[in-house]
Amino acid sequence: MKSDSSELGVGGPGVQPIAADTGRPHLEDPRVVLSLLEADQVVAAKEQMRFGRQKLSPGVRGLLWALRVYVVVMMIIVLISVLRAVHVSQ
Amino acid sequence: MDSLKTDPDAAPYVTAHPTTESAAASSDAPELAGLLTHEDVDRARDRWEVARARWKGRGAKKFRGVRLLWLLIGPGVLVFLGENDAPSMLSYSADGARYGIGFFIPFVVLTFVMGYVVQEMTVRLGAVTHRGHAELIFDRFGKFWGFFAMGDLVLGNFLTLVTEFIGVRAGLGFFGIRPTFAIGGALVIVAGAITTGRYWTWERITMGLAIFNGLFIPAAILARPNWHAVGNALVTWKPFPGGNQNEILVLILATIGATVTPWMLFFQQSAVVDKGMQPRDINAGRFDTILGVVLASTFAIAAILATAPLFHHGINAADFQTAQFAEALEPLIGHTGAALFALGIFEAGIVAAIAISTSSAYAFGEVLKTGHSLNRPLRDAWPFYLVLLGSAAAAAALVLIPKFPLEFVVLTVNVIAVLAMPPALAFLLLLVNDREVMGEHVNGTWANIAGLTVTVLLIIAGIGFGLATVFPKWLGG
Repeated sequence: MKSDSSELGVGGPGVQPIAADTGRPHLEDPRVVLSLLEADQVVAAKEQMRFGRQKLSPGVRGLLWALRVYVVVMMIIVLISVLRAVHVSQ
Repeated sequence: MDSLKTDPDAAPYVTAHPTTESAAASSDAPELAGLLTHEDVDRARDRWEVARARWKGRGAKKFRGVRLLWLLIGPGVLVFLGENDAPSMLSYSADGARYGIGFFIPFVVLTFVMGYVVQEMTVRLGAVTHRGHAELIFDRFGKFWGFFAMGDLVLGNFLTLVTEFIGVRAGLGFFGIRPTFAIGGALVIVAGAITTGRYWTWERITMGLAIFNGLFIPAAILARPNWHAVGNALVTWKPFPGGNQNEILVLILATIGATVTPWMLFFQQSAVVDKGMQPRDINAGRFDTILGVVLASTFAIAAILATAPLFHHGINAADFQTAQFAEALEPLIGHTGAALFALGIFEAGIVAAIAISTSSAYAFGEVLKTGHSLNRPLRDAWPFYLVLLGSAAAAAALVLIPKFPLEFVVLTVNVIAVLAMPPALAFLLLLVNDREVMGEHVNGTWANIAGLTVTVLLIIAGIGFGLATVFPKWLGG
């Protein structure tokens, strides 16, 4: 967790101090931009680094399949319900 | 975040950013400048404002806190006021018109509490990982399960978008505005909100529109509700609705679907990321979500109270469509009250159309790995904006097709949302319990109990609906 002063870009080495009283960050300086963002908030870094695949246990896999089946069955039931309503309205 | 890995398919990356500090310490500013995007700079500007508001040396303490919250609220308020959309307000209106002041008032509060339990997790996920919900599901569970989640989202979002434009058409129809103008005008507003090329501006414009969801409050006051009965209902959950149990079950399901839906998970997490929120902002994100819950549940109850006179006057609202509520209310709560109600439905449709089409666009951008930020100019992220406007335009076009069965879409959309929710919650709970992703912000025991309770309740409600549909005579249908 960064300190308030470092987030303002006044504490980092090599970073041009930001004059807080002027109310204007020097965003034309990329180092200031980087000092305000977390490392993995930068778009280029996010594109480069991705979370790896999680190994799913058989139990979790079974749960996800059960939920998949649940949704498919329920959607069929919704379809039946809609067709019934259409039939009644006609 | 031990599981962060370099993507072998990614383009060569000149300068690594292992930490912000080391990147900032680099003296090679021109090289860094080449890596930064318009999105990064806009986000840094937002972070600068937040940092300035936090800075202990500036201003009176109480105003610092207020300014900080003002800067950090947005995704939570938008997601809940966005979910108070046209079909949701129609569901609440149906609750009030068919059963009056009673069980549904505390029940709506309960559904919003369920909504908070779920949405708070997306705040943490977004602030800690800086990645959207679809992106995380694809990364952690692979393409098969990713497309499973996306399929439910795409179907639900598109049907819901159609209902938003039905709401727009019906709301403005009360004032005699022709459907083509109403729908065309709504599309112009959706497009106008995104042309700013700035997340912050988009968020403030949409919040400005969303606050008009409060139009249901004066409409409710004009209905002169019995406040004693309201208080009694909140405490006792009575009177419980009587009559056809099958219809009550569908209405209960639709009311849950009016508050807890898959698009909300995808939207809030992506909006938290686009806003640039960080782990230190999680408490502010929670406040934002609570504020959204309080505002949206108040407006939802107002919709119930506004239509309760229909119940007390014995007017059968079983087959009412959106516009018919306003028309039926006119002799009971006056032209002003009915007009406020119709305007509220129009507003609900517009804000939800903006939020839901943005949710679809975020998810597509994350899955296709193209630019997906409202901080990006149109030329940089045209596929993102194309999905956003294209989905809205396609839904709007359907509403203008003569004899299109609009009422069935409205009827089923909230039910579909509830039925698609358990798998979405399973992915959410897996992600938020993933220590490699969440680190110290992993779910605690109580959050897991609450999350599992919501999931089980939704599954029970869904199974109940299924049984009532297949075996209607069991419930006296």
